[in-house]
Amino acid sequence: MHKIFALLIFALMPFSALATPPPTIFAAASLKPALDDLASHGTLGKPAPRLVYAASSALARQIEQGAPADVFISADEDWMDDLAKRGEIVADTRSDLLGNALVLVAPKTSDVQVDLSQPQTLRRALGMIGRLSIALPQSVPAGRYASQSLHALGLWDSVAGKLAMSRDVRASLELVAMGECPLGIVYRSDAISEPRVRVLATFPAASHQPIVYPIAIVRGHDSTASRALLHALESAEAQAVFRHYGFDAPPR
Amino acid sequence: MIELDFALTRGEFVLQLALRSEARALALFGDSGCGKTSTLHAIAGLLKPARGRIALDGRVLFDADERAGVPVAQRRLGVVFQDVRLFPHLSVRDNLRYGAPSSNDSSRFDDAVQLLGLGALLKRKPDRLSGGQARRVAIGRALLCDPAALLLDEPLSNLHREARAEVLEHLRGLKRELALTTILVSHQADEVLALADAVALLDDGRLRKVLPVAQFGGEQRFATRATAEAR
Amino acid sequence: MAWLSHDETIALLLSLRVAAVATACALPPATACAWLLARWRFIGKSLLETALLLPLILPPVVTGYVLLEVFGHRGVIGRVLDALHLTIAFRWTGAALAAGVMAFPLLVVALRTAFESVDRKLEQAAATLGANAWRIFFGITLPLSLRGLVAGVALAFARAFGEFGATITFVSSIPGETRTLPIALYELLETPGGEGGALRLTWVAVIVALIATLGAALLLRGQRATEIES
Repeated sequence: MHKIFALLIFALMPFSALATPPPTIFAAASLKPALDDLASHGTLGKPAPRLVYAASSALARQIEQGAPADVFISADEDWMDDLAKRGEIVADTRSDLLGNALVLVAPKTSDVQVDLSQPQTLRRALGMIGRLSIALPQSVPAGRYASQSLHALGLWDSVAGKLAMSRDVRASLELVAMGECPLGIVYRSDAISEPRVRVLATFPAASHQPIVYPIAIVRGHDSTASRALLHALESAEAQAVFRHYGFDAPPR
Repeated sequence: MIELDFALTRGEFVLQLALRSEARALALFGDSGCGKTSTLHAIAGLLKPARGRIALDGRVLFDADERAGVPVAQRRLGVVFQDVRLFPHLSVRDNLRYGAPSSNDSSRFDDAVQLLGLGALLKRKPDRLSGGQARRVAIGRALLCDPAALLLDEPLSNLHREARAEVLEHLRGLKRELALTTILVSHQADEVLALADAVALLDDGRLRKVLPVAQFGGEQRFATRATAEAR
Repeated sequence: MAWLSHDETIALLLSLRVAAVATACALPPATACAWLLARWRFIGKSLLETALLLPLILPPVVTGYVLLEVFGHRGVIGRVLDALHLTIAFRWTGAALAAGVMAFPLLVVALRTAFESVDRKLEQAAATLGANAWRIFFGITLPLSLRGLVAGVALAFARAFGEFGATITFVSSIPGETRTLPIALYELLETPGGEGGALRLTWVAVIVALIATLGAALLLRGQRATEIES
């Protein structure tokens, strides 16, 4: 869907020569509720920027291929590093925008209890046919953090054969919200924005790489508008809204 | 006993006829477009009249008032189509046997094969048959489904002179050997004279006259343009 | 397959199984639909035609979510299946259903075209010879539409094999169970430095497509040979 969106923007580019187009932000899927809120309230300037959401991996690949993003917000450093290595970002505009926490969620109607220090509680909560919903560990940041935490806490072996891996963190959240999976690992920000799930536990920050949302301007799109957007996102007003949606200040 | 009393419309064309004939072999004769093939198809059940009744030898095949209509597959009529319609993927033998697949009666089969001179053709596929041969296979196929009556649609059409003579001879033989109620569609007088006992003259969807074949020979003014061309 | 990793081989074998089952299971209902559309006029025919096109028109992810709603553990039908121990949610059978649903419209269109190409006059002739609808279909229509049928099946198999969006949305990615070759390919593409592996898997997919096409052609050539011979 996001690819269609990007293509649509691309197709509209010639027409936008008639009027300066609003800047485009490519953002990790988990930022959707917060960014939509900021954009609609005018915090990010008028006209509101165009927002494109997908897994950080998909977005990074598209930017590599010249997708018309002005600003990129990734859900992990690896994908931003990857773009930096290829020279696809304006290096001196890179900074850390947000932090987040990793939580274990269950459908709202479920009454399971899980103690992260006791692997058998996890197994029991999954039951015979239940699966633990996470994002793809090799490619999606949320999945990678989930995998790291599970390994660090010695829970991986209990659940290795019972994972259901999705394309991005919002898809893995949806599986839990629908009740299709009894448990899932998502960002705290996702859990807060989804009324159909409840948080069972928070994974200790030390059990995974620090969750950082780096932000940068894409090469060739350094403009006053882009810089203004960056500034707006880093402003205290925007940060307060992010807090409201479950994000933290960036670690360090 | 052939009882036809029906009307049907196909687009602009209206066909309406009523006749009763005790003849064993009735020919429907007229120009192209007069409705003779449509009549045959209505008897076969491929066309549904708007109203009326069709019965052969006491068996009611269609009755609009009684809301009765025997399905095509159950009318037990052997139809030989003008465009032959042999099944291209089946051998001559399999085509012949199509109407009686479970029959173990090889004598029936052999008789039909002999009657129509199909012995040498049994293993061939229809695309390897001449016009006359294909026509004979179609006749054999219709006969072998053990029909109560035979419907022949222009059985000698599109055949060159030798093939016409060959098929006509076989049909004459059939008429002699089998006492099967037959309805024959034709626009050529010689076919009618050779094969029919009675002739129904059709013109533009209407029945003009029914007469015994002996009288038909004398009604030369009813010989159509097509017949003249055939000579 | 020395040049494929263990995981990749599993993904390939799973894809072959999923696509084969999907195509085989889609064939009977698709044949029925195609025959209905080819030979009958009825109220709601346009509705049926539209409904059949839906998997083609809707984004595959949407189809995946619909499948999830209906056949997932909480779904109307999924619940019943779970009770009967016939769960398809998060199982390869679910992947086969997703693939089958996506391939279904293509199969129907191909089969319908094949049936429509059979001369109705031959079917009429068969009816006058006393054949019922079954005999006409299996003895006349089917053999004469074989060419189109084989082409349709090959097309459906290819579509089922390459199915991605609906599958990953409905049954997610589970190695050995639902992680088909297209999903494995996707994962590699989305991993930094995974392009090499993705290219390898792409080649595998191309080879499978070639084999399927060649197989179909051989099958048809075999049929034509018997026609010429007799």
